[in-house]
Amino acid sequence: MTTVDYPILQARDLRKIFPVSGGRKLVAVDGVSFDLVPGKTLALVGESGSGKSTVARCLVRLVEPTSGKVWLDGMSIIELDPVALSKTYRRVQMVFQDPNASLNPRMTVREVVHEPLWLHLRMPKDQREARARRLMELVGLTYAHLDRYPHELSGGQRQRVGIARAIAVEPDIVILDEPTASLDVSVRGQILELLLDLQKKLNLAYLFISHDLQVVQHVAHRVAVMYLGGIVEVGPTAAVFGHPEHPYTRALLSAAPVAKWGAKRQRLRLAGEISSPIDPPDACRLVGRCPLEQPSCAKARPPLTEIGDEHSVACPVVTAGDRAVPSAA
Amino acid sequence: MSEAILEVRNYSGAFRSATGDLTPILEDVSYRLKTGAMTAVVGETGSGKSLTALSVLGLQPATFVRTSGEILFKGRNLVTLEEREIRAVRGAQISMVFQDARAAMNPVFTVGSQLADVYRLHHGSSKREAMAKAIDALRRVYIPEPERRARQYPHEFSGGMAQRAMIALAALICQPQLLILDEPTTGLDVTIQAEIMELIVDLTKNSGLTTCLITHDLGVVAETCDEVVVMNSGRVLETASAEAIFTAPQNPYTRKLLAASQLVQSEAEAA
Repeated sequence: MTTVDYPILQARDLRKIFPVSGGRKLVAVDGVSFDLVPGKTLALVGESGSGKSTVARCLVRLVEPTSGKVWLDGMSIIELDPVALSKTYRRVQMVFQDPNASLNPRMTVREVVHEPLWLHLRMPKDQREARARRLMELVGLTYAHLDRYPHELSGGQRQRVGIARAIAVEPDIVILDEPTASLDVSVRGQILELLLDLQKKLNLAYLFISHDLQVVQHVAHRVAVMYLGGIVEVGPTAAVFGHPEHPYTRALLSAAPVAKWGAKRQRLRLAGEISSPIDPPDACRLVGRCPLEQPSCAKARPPLTEIGDEHSVACPVVTAGDRAVPSAA
Repeated sequence: MSEAILEVRNYSGAFRSATGDLTPILEDVSYRLKTGAMTAVVGETGSGKSLTALSVLGLQPATFVRTSGEILFKGRNLVTLEEREIRAVRGAQISMVFQDARAAMNPVFTVGSQLADVYRLHHGSSKREAMAKAIDALRRVYIPEPERRARQYPHEFSGGMAQRAMIALAALICQPQLLILDEPTTGLDVTIQAEIMELIVDLTKNSGLTTCLITHDLGVVAETCDEVVVMNSGRVLETASAEAIFTAPQNPYTRKLLAASQLVQSEAEAA
């Protein structure tokens, strides 16, 4: 494959703080950096409240980041005025979790797919229709579906329409926010195959947001694990799933059930529940829950440190190599 | 063959539309829940797995019409009971946990008072004693600081904590013989899901409960259940021990569902 390996999008030190009552601050995203590469998928994995969706929204400024940089092909998105920003949307598109909520019930599939072609490309009607038909083929629907309303489609078909709308304007990047979370397992597989197929055909860079570890392992080239607004571990999918190092990653992976008889997993347990993102102290976010905790963990927030081939972990205990709990495998 | 606490026999039904037309929705559903075992009823959207379970408790939607079949609970046919009689069974002998625990609770009463009220309804006791039972139940599902938590409202509970409280209510306050859980961990994070499932297994093993887990997640089933019923489009396609379902599935749909759930594993095996 002749993929260009330089990033199409770079995010550096993104930070989003929401003010809450009493002058307190909710730190939703705290210093997140990553690259998106054409033809490759970066997965953002994390549980609810980890900030993964806020990161995605910051990239396209649906949520205005408090600080940080986003470069799209070398152009800084953060400084753009609204008009120039809307032009970048042709290059960065989104697919949302719930196709029932993200498709206008009063618009036919034709109108849904035509709209971005007109808005972004001012394409005349006959060309729009030709493109719409090609898109239907690409996403595995038929021309007849163009006349349907969303309620006439199944959940999987609706998600195909959502994908068709996203790729209609030939973007470079598609942000997929839990694209299979509301689908049945048998449909989930089909949608994932479609996404993989489109990525190959169109050389798309994906930012794939999911809490479904199985799905992520299936589609991602790189995985970034988020916990309370920060990336705690990032690396090639095989490395993160094969040799998870951060205690949170290990807890997360060992908690995921496997649909297989007699699959034994050694649970790494975290104490208690996720702590509050409001006014967090300058410490590792896992303090109080972590089985490897050292006194130094509460003193400063550990940075991501490279431990192997493009595999980084934000845990000084792991990187120092004196783990208190032996590795499962 | 071991004793079955509940037996669904040739249960069929349809939805009646406004014009009176009947759309068949359950066709000849039969399964048994063995006493003391954990049985999973597995299926995708529209398989009829929840509708069958709701029928057990007489909670099916008003537009649902039973066309044939019976549901035997300890030999007694539930579908022919009067509303008054089924209410005596509901909660006291068979209780149910729903997917969204926070939606299932009343937002304007504290969690403790809701548990205590149900305790008084079923067992009749003083308010003080009922509240003590409520706090004890919360403690037994590992809710930290149960005295303080009992005074809080549902919105102050996280999803996982609320589900624990619902399980405390359904299993420990009601003290049923059969506990039906409809997608109890859907919508919860995986680390929380693992803990809730451990709690359910723990209660089943240690309280002499019979448990029926309704789910679409075969991963959860593989680790926790003894028996599996696979449903699709309103029919039961396969019934077997969990081991047989995962190691030697007979029905093509079961095999398809298993392959779809294993995305990665099946690939790893092929490689």
